[in-house]
Amino acid sequence: MELNTASSVISLARELEETGARFYESLAGQYPASEEMFTGYAKGNRKFIKQFETAYYGVITDALEGCYAFKIEQEKYEINSDAGSGLNINEATDRAIQVEDTMWRFYTDAAEQSKSLMADVPRVFSLIAKKRTERKQQLETSRH
Amino acid sequence: MAVLEEPVKEIKVVKNYINGEWVESKGEIVDVVNPANGKTIGRVPISTAEEINAAVAAAQEAYPDWRRTTPLARSRILFRLKDLLEENFEEVSRIQTQEHGKCIDESRGETRRGIENVEVACGIPTLMQGEYSEDIASGIDEWLIPTPLGVFGIIGPYNFPWMIPLWSAPYAVATGNCIVIKPSSEVPLSQMRLAELAEEAGFPPGVWNVVNGGRTVVNGMLDHPDIAGITFVGSTPTGRDVIYKRCGETGKRVIAQCGAKNFMTIMPDCDVDRTVAGMMTSFFGNTGQRCLAAANAVIVGDDDTFYKNFVDSVISLSSRIKIGYGLDESVQMGPIRDKAKKETVLRYIETGLQEGAKLLLDGRKVDIIGNHPETCFIGPSIFEGVRPDSKMGSEEIFGPVMSLMRVRTLEEAIEISNANPFGNGHSIFTQNGKSAREFQYNILSGNVGINIGITAPVAFFPFSGMKDSFYGVLHTQGKEAVRFFTESKVVIQRWF
Repeated sequence: MELNTASSVISLARELEETGARFYESLAGQYPASEEMFTGYAKGNRKFIKQFETAYYGVITDALEGCYAFKIEQEKYEINSDAGSGLNINEATDRAIQVEDTMWRFYTDAAEQSKSLMADVPRVFSLIAKKRTERKQQLETSRH
Repeated sequence: MAVLEEPVKEIKVVKNYINGEWVESKGEIVDVVNPANGKTIGRVPISTAEEINAAVAAAQEAYPDWRRTTPLARSRILFRLKDLLEENFEEVSRIQTQEHGKCIDESRGETRRGIENVEVACGIPTLMQGEYSEDIASGIDEWLIPTPLGVFGIIGPYNFPWMIPLWSAPYAVATGNCIVIKPSSEVPLSQMRLAELAEEAGFPPGVWNVVNGGRTVVNGMLDHPDIAGITFVGSTPTGRDVIYKRCGETGKRVIAQCGAKNFMTIMPDCDVDRTVAGMMTSFFGNTGQRCLAAANAVIVGDDDTFYKNFVDSVISLSSRIKIGYGLDESVQMGPIRDKAKKETVLRYIETGLQEGAKLLLDGRKVDIIGNHPETCFIGPSIFEGVRPDSKMGSEEIFGPVMSLMRVRTLEEAIEISNANPFGNGHSIFTQNGKSAREFQYNILSGNVGINIGITAPVAFFPFSGMKDSFYGVLHTQGKEAVRFFTESKVVIQRWF
């Protein structure tokens, strides 16, 4: 389904972050050696929600293209957040990298498409995309 | 995509808010109907002359103490109101969607713009400072004190039920006046919620009053000797022939913001993608029920290929607009506020056809997301070959109808825009600074957009208007509102 409105894209971002947070909480419980990192990611996801909600609710205006800014194909950003107990730590890390990569793509696309909104929204999306790149690098180096 | 929860779950009985009390009216009661699903969500009174008189009397009685309340103390109450509005942001936005039909992004945008006016009015200690000149003659000083005037009436329209009273109310009370708001009886619920939050913020009884109703309340305000001024947003016939005229007769200050027929000039050097996206919001946002909505798209130049490609892009995007209940987050366009207003739009579509314009996109056929009655829904319509002097090209339709016109030069575009009796929010889309300046300099429009389709000024700029779109001198919002709600008392002093 193509999402066009700012409201629907913000809801998708919220859903992705929440799903991701639950995934990391589950990994934190399963892999004590990486607990701190995964717990930090889960907290970070919820902080991102606050950041983009603050930006969106702070600058939303009926005078700009809030209902027409986006062409986001929801299906392109589905994440595999299954943290099943059969995974070893490297497989779990690979899955986390995939999650972060999907999130990076989502925020990069959303930032590009929301340029017609006030600056705060694409800026926050870009910032969160950058954080995803940092996480991917951290995950890569954490592989055992 | 999620359909958001409705905040109004049961039929809300709307009361008047007079002298800090919620009072039942003795007037006739009418239903408030959600235009998207036809459900009754409220019952609103059409208040009596005695009730508007009671509200004005309460406001008049509260005025002396409120005037003596320091600007800082008044500002603190406004700060509390601002906090409460933020806390209840989502609820008031969804109420607007329920009562009016606009989609949720539009309602949130309206909420934000309303709050911004409260934020600006919070600066009243400095906004209301006077002026001082020492030694205007030997040993004589002179200064100006902006003083409040008493009681003001604020008459709101149906298309922006929440925001438009907030163009006036925060400035009126911040400057030490008391107010009586009359919301549109079609959409009174968000103003009722606003009054509840104003009460919680701590405005003393009588400072902030709300009287629901129709003509009787408006006439009561216009004729009342204790009302110092009126702000009004609505149609030109009412604004010009009733509000402005009667305020003149009774010596009241007046801001009457009226109708519009906005022309969007599109130059061949425009950024096509951004222009077309801007057009969607401008022509079809709020389902065209906006005094700043563009109505006529004037495409400049003789390049037939550009014209064809541009129009194809407009039709392609317009035909894909998702229509439905505004609480569905995927929806881009909600219904018209009520069936009678939809029928007015349908009549204009018939008129356009009779006048010989070509209907490129027919909004009478509409696909609605979800299981909602068609009663108030209409899709976007696009006409080609509309003459600027035809009914279609010159009158306010207040619905999602775009009229395409073609001219050879920018000068012609400005000429046909200026020939229209309205002058509210004309805009130009171009990448050329010279064209933009020519347009801005010569266009007769109170609000001008350059690559902006909705020329809505932010809270610290006045909401302007020219010709038949505005009657009065000063405008709502920002510093001009502060001037409107205060009299300049000038003192000259000499000591012997």
